[in-house]
Amino acid sequence: MAAVITVDHLHKTYGRVVAVDDLSFSVEGGEIFGILGPNGAGKTTTVECIQGLRDADGGTIRVLGLNPMTEAAELRQRIGSQLQDAALPGRLRVAESLELFAAFARDPVDCDELLSRWRLQEQRNQAFDTLSGGQRQRLFIALAFVNAPELVFLDELTQGLDPQARRATWDLIREIRQDGTTVVLVTHFMDEAEHLCDRVAVVDDGRVIALDTPQGLIDGLGLRSVVRFTTQEPDLGWVERLDVVESLIRRGDAVEVRGIGPVLALVASELVAHGIVPLDLRVDRPTVEDAFLALTGRTIRG
Amino acid sequence: MRGYLAMTRAEFRLFRREPFSIVFVLAFPLMMMMLLAAVFGNDQANAQDVENGMLVWRGVAPADYYTAASVAVIIAALGLMTLPINLSGYRERGILRRLRASSVSVWILVSAQLTLALVTFVAGALVMGVVAWLAYDVMLPKDVIGVVVALVIGTAAFGAIGLMLATVVRSSRSAQGIGLLLFFAMWLISGTGPPRAVLPTGLRDVGGLLPLTHLVTAVQDPWFGFGWSATDLAVLAAYAFAAGAPALWFFRWD
Repeated sequence: MAAVITVDHLHKTYGRVVAVDDLSFSVEGGEIFGILGPNGAGKTTTVECIQGLRDADGGTIRVLGLNPMTEAAELRQRIGSQLQDAALPGRLRVAESLELFAAFARDPVDCDELLSRWRLQEQRNQAFDTLSGGQRQRLFIALAFVNAPELVFLDELTQGLDPQARRATWDLIREIRQDGTTVVLVTHFMDEAEHLCDRVAVVDDGRVIALDTPQGLIDGLGLRSVVRFTTQEPDLGWVERLDVVESLIRRGDAVEVRGIGPVLALVASELVAHGIVPLDLRVDRPTVEDAFLALTGRTIRG
Repeated sequence: MRGYLAMTRAEFRLFRREPFSIVFVLAFPLMMMMLLAAVFGNDQANAQDVENGMLVWRGVAPADYYTAASVAVIIAALGLMTLPINLSGYRERGILRRLRASSVSVWILVSAQLTLALVTFVAGALVMGVVAWLAYDVMLPKDVIGVVVALVIGTAAFGAIGLMLATVVRSSRSAQGIGLLLFFAMWLISGTGPPRAVLPTGLRDVGGLLPLTHLVTAVQDPWFGFGWSATDLAVLAAYAFAAGAPALWFFRWD
C-alpha cells in the first residue's frame, strides 16, 4: 500500500536543545506503526510536527499527500489526534464535549455511536473532572475519531491505566485497524509496542535507531530465547544437535537451552518424541525491551 | 458558523455551572457606582462645578456621571481580567492544545469568549442602570445607539488588550495579578474613580492615554446628549488593532 506518511530528515530544536535530530521513516496505509523510545527521545515532538501542530526546523514531511506546515487545516480534517497531557474544561460533560468537537468536523460521526463504541454511554452526562483516568483516556480516544479519520495519532495511549483497561484499549485499537484506519502509536511501553504494532521505529536522542517488526527487531539483534525444564534423563545430546539450539547447560536436573527462532516448539516436540514430557517446560522469549537494551546499551528507564 | 455556535454553547454551559466566576466583574463596578453616587449625590447644581479649569462632572450631575462611567468599567474588567484568566487557564491545563488539534481557530475561541462577556455585560449594565435610575433618578441614555456603538468598539479594544495579555503572560496566576493591577490602575486615573479634574496634572496626563478614559468619554457623550466622540472612538479602534493584530499573530496554544 502507498505510504501515508513520509518523514525525511526531520529536525527540530527548542532553543539550544535538539529534540529531533535527523529523523526519517515512512508509514504504510492500514498499519499500526509504533514510535517507541524513552521520555525525552523526541517522539511527541515528531508526531506534533507530523500533525502540523508544531513547525519543523528542517526536513520534509508529507501526510496523506499534504504538507503539514502549509496545509494543516485541510490535514486536520482527515486525521484524528489523541494528545498526551490534554484536558477539557472540568465541568464540560462527556456528551457535550463530543458535540463540541463534532461541530468542527466536516463530516462528523454520530455522537451516540462514538459513545457506544468507546463504552462511554453511562458517562454521557458526567463532567470531565469526575471521570476516572481510564474514562478520560477513552473520551480522548473517542474525540480523536469524531471526524472518522483515515489516520489516527495516539500519544501514550495507556498511560495511567490499570492492566485490564490497557488490554481492553488494545483490543479497541485492533478493531480500528480492521476498519482500515492507519494508526501511529507513540509509546514508551515495550509490551504495547510488541502486542499492538505491525512495525516499530525505535527512537532515542531524536534519531531512529532501528525500524522493523517487533519480531524482526528481536531476531535481527540475535537475541536468544531461553527454554527451561527439569529432567533426570542423562543424555540430551539430541536436543543440543537441533539447528535452533546454540547451547545447553545443565545444573543438576535443571536444563537451560538457548537459541534463536522457534526454540520452544522444536525442543518440546523433540522431547515428546523421546518420551520426555516435563511438567515445568517454559520459555523466556526476548522482548522489545531486550531489543532496546541491546540497541542502546540502556534500559528504557535510562 | 457551526463551530462558533458550538463553542459559545459550550462556554454558556460552563458558565451556568460556575456563575460566581464573574462576581467581581459585575459586583465591583456596581458597588463603586453606588458608593460614589451616595457620596456625591445627584444634585444638578453640581453640574457646573469646576476644578483645575475643568468641569468636574462634565456638565452633568455626579450620579449621572458615575452611572455612565461604571458601565464602561464593566467592559474593562471583562477585558483585563476575565478574558486573559480564562484563556491562560485553558492554556495551562492543555485545553487549548486539544482544541487546536481539532481545528478550532483563535477567532472562534475568542469570539465565543467575547459573546459570553457581552451577554454578561448586558445583564450587569441593565441591573446597574435600573438600580441607579430607581435610587438616584439617574438620566437614561439620550442616544442609545451612540452608547451601544461606543460599547461595541470598547469591547473590541479591551478584548484585544485581554487577548494580548493572554498571549504574553505565562500563567493564569500571573494573568490574575497583572490583570488586577492594570484594572485598578486604570480605574483610579481614568475618571471612573476620582473625576479627572481633581487629579494632579501628571496623573491626568497619563490617564488621558489609557483606553478606559477614552471609553468613558465615548460612552458618556451620547449618553448625556453631547453627540458622538469621534476622537475617542478612533483611539479605541486604534487600541483594538494595535493590541489585537500582534496578539492574534503571536498567539500560543501551549
